[in-house]
Amino acid sequence: MPDNSGVSRRSFLKATSAGAATAAVAGCFGGDGDDDGNGNGNGNGNGNGNGDDEISNVQKAQDAWDRIVDNPGPEDEDLRNEAYVEMEEAVRDDMILMPLYHNLNERFWYDHVDVEPTGALGGHRQQHNHTSLDDGSTELNLINSTVSSLDPIQSTDTASAVIINQVYENLVDYPDGIAELENQLVEEVDISDDLLTYTFTIKEATYHGGEELTADDFKYAWRRLAESPNSQRANFILGSGFLGIDHETDEDGAVVPDSIGVEVIDDRTFEMTLAEVEAAALDILTYDSFGPVPEGFVDDIEGYDGEVTQEEFATEVMNGTGPFEFDVWDPGTEARVTRFEDYHEEPANLESIHWQIIEDDEPIWTYINERNADIFGIPTSYYEQDNIDADEDDLNRDVGTYGPLENGDTVNYLGVAELSTFYVAFNASNAPRAVRQAVAYVTDHEELINLVFQGRGEEAWSFTPPGIWPTGADAYQEFAESWPYSPNQTDTGAAQEVLAEAGYTEDDPFEITLTTYADDTFQEFARLTRDKLDGTGIDLSIDEAEFSTLISRGEDGDLAMYTLGWIWSWADPAYGLFGFEPANTNTDLIPEEADGYYLDWEAEDE
Amino acid sequence: MSRWRYFFQRVLLSIPILFLVMTLIFVILRMGPLDPVAAMLGPEASGVQAEQIRENLGLNEPLWRQYINYMVDLITFNFGQSYVIQSGRSVNALIAIFAPRTIWLGFWAVLLPLFIGIPLGFYAGLNPNSWGDYVASFSGIVWLAMPNFWLAIMMLAVLRRTQGGGFLGFDWYTIGPEVRSLIGTPPLDFIGFEEWQSLGMIPMPSGFYFDGGTLAVAIKMILPAAIVLGSASMATELRIGRTAILETINSNYVETARAKGLPGRVILWKHVFRNALIPLVPIITNEALLLLGGSVIVEVIFGINGLGRLFFLSATQGDLPLAGALIFIFTLITISLNILQDFLYTVLDPRVGYEQ
Repeated sequence: MPDNSGVSRRSFLKATSAGAATAAVAGCFGGDGDDDGNGNGNGNGNGNGNGDDEISNVQKAQDAWDRIVDNPGPEDEDLRNEAYVEMEEAVRDDMILMPLYHNLNERFWYDHVDVEPTGALGGHRQQHNHTSLDDGSTELNLINSTVSSLDPIQSTDTASAVIINQVYENLVDYPDGIAELENQLVEEVDISDDLLTYTFTIKEATYHGGEELTADDFKYAWRRLAESPNSQRANFILGSGFLGIDHETDEDGAVVPDSIGVEVIDDRTFEMTLAEVEAAALDILTYDSFGPVPEGFVDDIEGYDGEVTQEEFATEVMNGTGPFEFDVWDPGTEARVTRFEDYHEEPANLESIHWQIIEDDEPIWTYINERNADIFGIPTSYYEQDNIDADEDDLNRDVGTYGPLENGDTVNYLGVAELSTFYVAFNASNAPRAVRQAVAYVTDHEELINLVFQGRGEEAWSFTPPGIWPTGADAYQEFAESWPYSPNQTDTGAAQEVLAEAGYTEDDPFEITLTTYADDTFQEFARLTRDKLDGTGIDLSIDEAEFSTLISRGEDGDLAMYTLGWIWSWADPAYGLFGFEPANTNTDLIPEEADGYYLDWEAEDE
Repeated sequence: MSRWRYFFQRVLLSIPILFLVMTLIFVILRMGPLDPVAAMLGPEASGVQAEQIRENLGLNEPLWRQYINYMVDLITFNFGQSYVIQSGRSVNALIAIFAPRTIWLGFWAVLLPLFIGIPLGFYAGLNPNSWGDYVASFSGIVWLAMPNFWLAIMMLAVLRRTQGGGFLGFDWYTIGPEVRSLIGTPPLDFIGFEEWQSLGMIPMPSGFYFDGGTLAVAIKMILPAAIVLGSASMATELRIGRTAILETINSNYVETARAKGLPGRVILWKHVFRNALIPLVPIITNEALLLLGGSVIVEVIFGINGLGRLFFLSATQGDLPLAGALIFIFTLITISLNILQDFLYTVLDPRVGYEQ
């Protein structure tokens, strides 16, 4: 493993939009939670027969992960998918981590807009070259939040990604944010038998600046991603567990310039070599930062003087191959892109896209009711659940109408569960299984979501979101319905029973601390749970910590019970489940030699 | 001590104050709990990357050298680059983009109450206990009692319902210059220099343009926000103005002047108004300061995205260079307003500076 100093934390999610690493489009998340499987068998005690005669859940998870790692080939996909589900079962039955909710992404639009519904990877993945307007106007009007940078290797927030995605392209992409890979700039991929070498043949395409797309551009752009001091996502290309491209490091652990495993064969062909097999390599390549830029365009890596400085590239110049070219960005006010006529596919229907930058509830609500936005999200303070009239489609999306708005209009509605999971997790050495299961028994997912988001969230019954459930939507339903801990109920009786069996009673309770970081949702969950557990045999106290403090205490194994979130940047179950491999959850090894969740799950078997 | 000597002493005194504030900013930013590297990279930060950024930012140097560098940078207005809000853009560029919006808002928010509040107050003071006085004073108190954020939301809710001709009998969107939205940044490019010519080493503007239509839109867009922001000051000025006039009018020297047979007009303009302005000076200058801080909420609700909002974002997201630069600039403005206040005192009131 080349990058031993940088076993990275991937995308642990701060749920606040203020976070530097992630920023949700303000006011646009939430959702309805009507498709919960409640009323189904809440018979507790259904076969989590752990440990007695069969193998333990820890062993089950470890075996499943080993099978996944040992079978990376494309022909073994079914085998891996079954193993993913086994890991989920082990997590659930041992209750080492309880998923709470998936973010629900909602979108509202007027009838005069013809736009494809988006998928679980989010609306920011949608290129608008197929969108059209039939009210006579040629500009699509949208709302965006604060944009941080136009440089694809520097931006980390959704607001920037929305613009970058119209201007820059990748080898492959997820059209409309639906988790199915499609070619974008690549014509053909050839993967070697050892699964380490990928040979890409690229399409003919022109940059907005007039340059022809060549294989050298990819090498240059990827070198920037790996080497530039401005790169915020170097770990995505270098890190093991991410793309893990072959490269050399110097004695400080930094990447050696021009050492990444990309070899240009000719103008249209190049080879990429990975350090180890990565089944999701192509999925990872859909990430914005991997898009090509004309060779030598920016000045921030060794050997290139650049036509523009990185500051210009981050603030006023964009040069990609996408369907729209950059026009204006006035920070804090607006941004615009216009149609690129030389686009390598059919040019867009729209002449331009305009984003008004507004982040707060009142101005957004005003702007919407003035009919200034064609597609928008409704801030929760102005949102009414009863206004939705929608049905579920075959991709688990709610499609229908919403209305009336304040101005009397009724608009189209789409609700999609995003690839994100917010959860409460336990450290096995500090929280016995009976305690973990008791917490699950008293947790009412539906109540929590209604209380905190006015119903705008999707109840989570597994860590892997339904949108990428490895064995399909029906299998997910089955899994969700088999939740053994009284779904959507506060089952104090069952909690008391399981605690009493383990010897914890009201008079002699188990004392445990739940640590959350400053976030309304998690605080609400903590207060609710504390009150519900009162008198059952668990004495819960609540602690709040800064995000970074929470992480470092997790790494030290000092937490007993904590809340966090996880977001998927590409559609790969392994990208979330790697953190459950029991050996990888050993906090003695985190963060240097392990990068799992802070569970110390192996302690369960001791 | 002469009044001008007193004034210059006040100016000199502001230098150590500024120095103290700069040191405080340094202490808070560099030694506080916020780690700039964590703020920049987020939780994905890997060891190598973090170390590299630490090095680039000069965070590995001894503290005294960091302190000296920081002080020199602040004095020379070399604020560096924003870390988080707009990584890569220089702080100076950001301030140049965001500041005019706040200045435009602040200008109207000070001007409107000045020309409504003070005349109304003087009118009430000159006609005490009349119906006019009661109406002016009462509405002033009611106006003062309405919080800004509430007033702002109401203003939006009422005005946006006028679209297409509403219950108020007018359509705000089409009255006067047409606007598309109540919210957003007003267009401030109504005036500017067309081209620049080099005169030796110094660039000189060689022609400027002015667009009345854009100016009208810019004024119309800022009006609701400015009225809300200035509403509290308007009421205060009314109340203070009334009291000041009453006090002056009943003072001995006015009575003396009247006894000497001076015409009423001269008494009013030369004695009453001038003296009644004295208690209003600190009120007005202090209000300019309050507007700096108070503008955040109005900027947020009207989607104006000015300095107030920029400061709020930079502080909550840990963008240390930006937050530090803005505190420094706010301090500069505060100190200059204090100096202006002293200057106005010196001009208006001959008693300033004389020891009792």
